[in-house]
Amino acid sequence: MNNFILLVRTKITALRASISTLNLIRTLSFIFVFGTFLGGSYYFFFRVFNYLMSVEIIGPVLMNKILQMAFFIFFIMLLLSNVITSMSTFYNNRELQFLFSLPISPGSIYLAKLFENCLYASWATMIIILPLITAYGVTTRAPIIYYPVSIISVIIYLIIPGAIATGLIFIIRRILPKLKSRDVILLLFGLILSLTFFYLRVNNPALLKVFATENQQDLLRFVENLTAVGGIYVPSTWLSHIIVKLSQGSSQSRFYLLLLLSVTSAIMIIAFYLARLFYTRSWVLVGEYHTRARKKGSPLNRYYGSTKTFLLKDILIFVREPIQWVQLAIFFILLIIYIFSLRKTPIYFTVPVWRTIVSFANFAYICFILATLGVRFIFPSISLERYGVWLIGSSPISFGRIIKIKYLFNFFVAVVIIEGLLFFSNLLIKTDPGFYIILPIIGIFVAASLVSINLGLGAHFPQFNEDNPSRIASGTGGIIAALASIGYVGITIVILALPAYNYLSNIYFRRPLNYPLIILSITGFLVFNIFTIFGPLYLGIRSFEKRDI
Amino acid sequence: MRPTLSDSKRLIIKNLKKEFNGFWALKGLNLELGQGEIFVLLGPNGAGKTTTLKLITGLLHPTEGEIYIQGIDIKKEPIKAKSYIGYVPDEPFIYPKLTGREFINLVAGLYNVKKEDYEVRLQKLFKKFDVGEWIDELSEGYSHGMKQRVIMCQLLLHNPELILIDEPLVGLDPKTARTVRQTFLKLRQDGKTILISTHTLSFAREIATRLGIINHGELKFTGTLKELAEISGQKDIEEIYLKLTEQ
Ligand SMILES: Nc1ncnc2c1ncn2[C@@H]1O[C@H](COP(=O)(O)OP(=O)(O)OP(=O)(O)O)[C@@H](O)[C@H]1O
Ligand SMILES: [Mg+2]
Repeated sequence: MNNFILLVRTKITALRASISTLNLIRTLSFIFVFGTFLGGSYYFFFRVFNYLMSVEIIGPVLMNKILQMAFFIFFIMLLLSNVITSMSTFYNNRELQFLFSLPISPGSIYLAKLFENCLYASWATMIIILPLITAYGVTTRAPIIYYPVSIISVIIYLIIPGAIATGLIFIIRRILPKLKSRDVILLLFGLILSLTFFYLRVNNPALLKVFATENQQDLLRFVENLTAVGGIYVPSTWLSHIIVKLSQGSSQSRFYLLLLLSVTSAIMIIAFYLARLFYTRSWVLVGEYHTRARKKGSPLNRYYGSTKTFLLKDILIFVREPIQWVQLAIFFILLIIYIFSLRKTPIYFTVPVWRTIVSFANFAYICFILATLGVRFIFPSISLERYGVWLIGSSPISFGRIIKIKYLFNFFVAVVIIEGLLFFSNLLIKTDPGFYIILPIIGIFVAASLVSINLGLGAHFPQFNEDNPSRIASGTGGIIAALASIGYVGITIVILALPAYNYLSNIYFRRPLNYPLIILSITGFLVFNIFTIFGPLYLGIRSFEKRDI
Repeated sequence: MRPTLSDSKRLIIKNLKKEFNGFWALKGLNLELGQGEIFVLLGPNGAGKTTTLKLITGLLHPTEGEIYIQGIDIKKEPIKAKSYIGYVPDEPFIYPKLTGREFINLVAGLYNVKKEDYEVRLQKLFKKFDVGEWIDELSEGYSHGMKQRVIMCQLLLHNPELILIDEPLVGLDPKTARTVRQTFLKLRQDGKTILISTHTLSFAREIATRLGIINHGELKFTGTLKELAEISGQKDIEEIYLKLTEQ
């Protein structure tokens, strides 16, 4: 236990050292970006909850459902992200060689690493949950005690997926020691997703039906049916009970808090024992299975001009890194599911106005997807040059060229993705003809900006001491890039929403077109994009050229 | 392709200074290297050897001072200046997910190495450095020495005029170390200039045409082994080194 505290203390010291090296401007911009994001999400949730409070009967019920649903979805997402991060925290991590050579028990190493892993896997969830529960507390006029207790409960809650994920990994590694990291991840993803699906099917069939109703009665029935999202056996339900009861000042919250606490402890103790039994052995075994396969047919077995060679190298490394393409593949599977789910067009989607609102929402959603992909895959691409920075820095190629090569390639891929998604989803939604043309054009600008934001900030905040792209993406710079990308999409939607609304009113209600508004928005959008396309790239190239490597 | 050479001074360093957050790692270094020189930098850990080499390659930016390679100001025309340099860092980093061969081809692409009899030259180098079948395996499984050899191959393939090498012998077996030594002497005959930082004194004694003793960020002494022997009043290179790096 002492060892564990020592390890954690070392981590915190290192963290503090890295924070103290941030200069004032960076710290301020960091606080600013974070503050805006937290404030913005708080405002959003506050508005939603406030509105729901005013809706009779259904409103408060729906609020509870939103909490339950959100916590349940977070739980599944946290399980998945913990699986990915713990593969690298517990196996593919240089620090481990050092730790295992020390006279520390594997149990202590496990606990310290679990703590680190939960932090890595859950920060994104945390910055959504905080404004969510605060907004809930404020709208329901919860007592002061609500805030600290609910935050503590959330933290306890966040440990569960981490402990479950690591426990499962230890078991799989014990049973199938020769399985590659990639296959362990795939196996666990398959397991988690199919169990979730199965559980929801059995427990709550209504959830999987598309919200397809027009009348009040059906709606109420639908909402009632949602009563047990995930059911009483899952921790997300307990957490939402804690929060709801706390806000009402009911002492029932204590029961659920106790339940959450004891189940978390139990799962942690089980995972801890699994770690003591299996961790060291499986770690040693993983290190032994290095592939020694020959790459005879590689396209890089000859060379081309600098651009093509460099590009080929990027692609080869991507393809050979399971942690990269496995995650990309998962993204695509989710997207395909999304696209197909649009096919079941619910009744009121046939009303033209609704249909078009839906296609605008779909556009926003696709932009967010692209933003997420950008942060996860484009932001780390400069940091991943870690082993080659000495070569790039000393060879006769300018950093600007490198950035341009990466930019054009990623832009090309981003355009293919966004246009593909827009095309198929608009086809299935049967969107308005005008939108068919205008959305793909806007999509090109969105792709250009998002690639620039993530590549530029990736060059501005490179992290050359980390191999794992997911972790690079969830470091300080990655968080800033994520918030900037989401902010970009948000502003784009806001700029375009008014003229889109005007256009629709014109078509469906014969209202006059407001030309000044349309022209103003389009100009505004273009000017905004000049900044978001060239600004981050310029920042990235400049600061990288000045950097000591 | 780079233009033909005219200036016989391969490297000129004037009053080079480097500061890291208030710490002066280099305090005004002056050095000139001509064609066909092998200059060996000796000095204790933290003396500023790596810093000097990285400043010349452009990996670090000088706080003050000037660097000319082949008469070209590295600040004004970095790309042109860099096309004359070959650099071997102290840690032989190779992308773990590339094979040795792919890495060498990447470098060849970045330096625009000429394509004619490329394969022949590559095969010769592989033979020279005892490169085996492992060259087509991912470099994540390589030993330190294997990586060093890959890096030596890429260096010689793009045929630089000024070669900068940080700790060339660490991790090499005796046979490869000898090959490296012979290669350097041959390169010198071809008129290349080599700047080496090392702690291996026997190696320095055998190949250096001039030596520099660097300590606390200052080049304290430069000269041939004979001149340094006179200054220090010692005969053996180890004694000379210890004497000149005292205090
Ligand atoms: N990026 C950096 N930031 C801060 N200080 C640095 C940095 N790089 C080097 N230094 C400092 O500059 C000094 C010179 O370092 P350098 O690496 O040049 O030494 P060296 O002569 O190569 O030593 P060695 O023989 O151990 O390789 C050292 O005191 C080192 O701590
Ligand atoms: Mg050094």
